[in-house]
Amino acid sequence: MSLRNTLSSYGSIAKLLHWSIVLLIIAQLVLANAAADLPNGIRKLEVLAWHKSGGMLILMLAVVRLAWRYANVRPAPPPTMPRWQRITAASTHGLLYGLILVQPVTGWLMSSARNFPVSFYGLFQWPDLVQPDKALYEVLRGVHGFLARTLVTVALLHIAAALYHHFWRRDDVLRRMLPFVRLRPS
Amino acid sequence: MNPLFGNLRSGAAALGARTACALLLSLACVAAMAATAWRTDPSASHLGFKATQAGAEFEGQFKRFTPQISFDPADLAGSRFVVEIDTRSADTQDGERDAALASNDFFATDRWPTARFETTGFTAKGKGRFDARGRLTIRDVTREILLPFSFAAAPGGKQATLTGGTSIRRLDFGVGQGEWVDTTWVGNEVKIQFELKLVPAPDAP
Repeated sequence: MSLRNTLSSYGSIAKLLHWSIVLLIIAQLVLANAAADLPNGIRKLEVLAWHKSGGMLILMLAVVRLAWRYANVRPAPPPTMPRWQRITAASTHGLLYGLILVQPVTGWLMSSARNFPVSFYGLFQWPDLVQPDKALYEVLRGVHGFLARTLVTVALLHIAAALYHHFWRRDDVLRRMLPFVRLRPS
Repeated sequence: MNPLFGNLRSGAAALGARTACALLLSLACVAAMAATAWRTDPSASHLGFKATQAGAEFEGQFKRFTPQISFDPADLAGSRFVVEIDTRSADTQDGERDAALASNDFFATDRWPTARFETTGFTAKGKGRFDARGRLTIRDVTREILLPFSFAAAPGGKQATLTGGTSIRRLDFGVGQGEWVDTTWVGNEVKIQFELKLVPAPDAP
């Protein structure tokens, strides 16, 4: 399996980026829900610190991923795919890319607006993007929550489409993004 | 009553020499009067702190504090700072965190609404820079600290700026009880910095 993408499959770099972001997003959702149930205290501080570092890691990986996407060929959709499905797939992918870039930034803005600056796993501190502002924080908190629900919804659509390709259409669309999978020569 | 004045008087009284006492008293008065007494302009002055949460540093400030500054670079022996800080005025721009700071786990403002810093001596370091030695009291804990600062007076002595800062460990003062003694997520080191805009007090003591 090659590091770079080919016309028939994603390379290992693209796969690694895709699946590490998947795992990080799941962790982010778990941490965010855990924090919401915790009273103010050291545990909540700890859970939110992991959430904030995780968000910044996703942002960095998202930037690398987009750069890698444009520096590589992309496997083409199966030729039998109808036009509306191609448009839907392209829109879904575009939305997901946008969300993994924008969602961490809204969290970062939220932290700045509340004067809880963002550390990266205790290694260094990200600069504040805005001055502390309670009203702005409340708006951003609403946006962050809305984008989280949007991300989950779009990701579920993305998963449903991948499963549809794999089990219904029986094509390579899912398999070419799966790790440790070698494609049958077509 | 000036505590410096009081200390000298009690020390002298222990010697049992009345005349020595009177002499020392007057000397202390002369010394205390020699250093310029300054009035602080609260609107142009700032007492801030920086602490770390989860490895990220955030800033806060005390909105109410009353510095009594008698300072003259030419008369360090007669110079003195007494600063009282209203611990209820700690502001980190987050209501929940400010409430936590006021709670018994941190400043316990119900029991100890005031923190206090009082100098015991000064050392000149040149170029307008000095070290103040003094006692800092937070909650019920008093510790000696060293406070480096700069003093710059405008020509004519009509105004002056006092800037400085130091770093303390919050746990030395019991700031952080219970689970908060853990320094993994809330750092022990707290940086303090201040800038005071001074004008000569109209009625110098």
